[in-house]
Amino acid sequence: SSSSVKLTENSSMLCVLADSREISSGPEVISCLKMAHAVKVEVCSLNGCDYIVSNRMAVERKLQSEFVNCNNRNKLIERIQHLQNLFERICLIVEKDRIKPGETSRIFQRHKYYDSMLSSLIAAGIRILFSSSQEETAGLLKELALVEQRKKAGIVVPTEVKAHKKDALQFYLSIPNINHVTALNMCHRFSTVKQMANSSVTDIASYAQVSQQKAEEIYRYIHYVFDSQMLPTASVGGKAR
Amino acid sequence: MTVQIGTALVPYGHAIGSEKWRGSELAQGLYGKIQLHFEEALGMVDFQLPNRLCVLYISEADLVAGNAFKRRLVRIRNDSNLHTIVIVERTRLSEQYFPQVQKFIALELGMNMLPVANQSEAAQLIIQLVHSQSKEQQSNPFLRKKRSQLAEPSILNTIQQIPGVGKVKALLLLQYFPSIHQLSKASVQQLEEVVGRGIAQQINTFFTQQR
Repeated sequence: SSSSVKLTENSSMLCVLADSREISSGPEVISCLKMAHAVKVEVCSLNGCDYIVSNRMAVERKLQSEFVNCNNRNKLIERIQHLQNLFERICLIVEKDRIKPGETSRIFQRHKYYDSMLSSLIAAGIRILFSSSQEETAGLLKELALVEQRKKAGIVVPTEVKAHKKDALQFYLSIPNINHVTALNMCHRFSTVKQMANSSVTDIASYAQVSQQKAEEIYRYIHYVFDSQMLPTASVGGKAR
Repeated sequence: MTVQIGTALVPYGHAIGSEKWRGSELAQGLYGKIQLHFEEALGMVDFQLPNRLCVLYISEADLVAGNAFKRRLVRIRNDSNLHTIVIVERTRLSEQYFPQVQKFIALELGMNMLPVANQSEAAQLIIQLVHSQSKEQQSNPFLRKKRSQLAEPSILNTIQQIPGVGKVKALLLLQYFPSIHQLSKASVQQLEEVVGRGIAQQINTFFTQQR
């Protein structure tokens, strides 16, 4: 099996992807990862995900004030369910809000909603970590990436995609329930898109670095026989009635 | 002391507490909300919940006293039969130890760890844990079965990622090559008959170009 890029296990360099929105909501996290922890951070649009720390793990960063607020329940559920479709493992970091100068620190009122949400998350296998600052969050992200690397799930492919590969990346990203790292793995490990579209389930699992189950999903999608009658009528091109 | 867990299953809505918790503030918090029983020989575990879920309690005193609590955790961790949650007292006094304790428990041992301020909060948390074990899977929003969706809109979108292919061309191509797999195998000649030479070439290049 040929691969267009020689991939070496770089055991010293950790790699993390960060969503561009984190630049405004968590600037210290990114700069701390780069400076203090010497982690390679690629900032890009991650489609509903804050950080990706390995081939299979997403990290959701939530401010405590947001997490505790039961008005955010549906939004949080939607977000986590979205991540569950894309990733095998999810970690939620609950970060204490930064105290603005002049403000007194918020008293944290713990209540049933909070405990119930924590219990449901744990029952679903989602890990939860607690952080008191953006700097601490950076440290936790680094530790998670390190643990994943030790388990041979670290991101080893290049995270930038040169011009001539960009269309292939967009193509792979459009496959449902594929995360950004999976698309990068496909980009860098399949030598042509045709090769990918003609691969067995086992090859997809190996090249894309995904589970057997996910590889089967991808395979089914690639082989799915399109029936235009299944489209909602509004989306079929042509004149509206 | 071995980790002894009764082979009897804990019924939904119930919990078993180690005898040492009798009369405690934590036990007080549980009365009336769940059925609590005490057992002398719970081993190293503090509470046993339904579905083999165990709760370990690390108090402020344990944390301040040193690393002895870690040995207990490692032994329980090695008993792969148990799903454990470690409740840790996070107070002004124990705050300084919290980051390294979290690193040890959650990251190195890979166990679930939740902080509480005191025994009363721990009681509230245990009540929710018991309830989360009791409810049917469907009521946990994170355990609901994924709804399957038709692939057609996505496939139409995927085909349009090929340079030169818009919605109209995409629909046309899918009429003759109804799967992504089939489209990827089409020759330039076959494609030409459907979309014309220029786009046929672009599609072929997209699929076969070595990157």
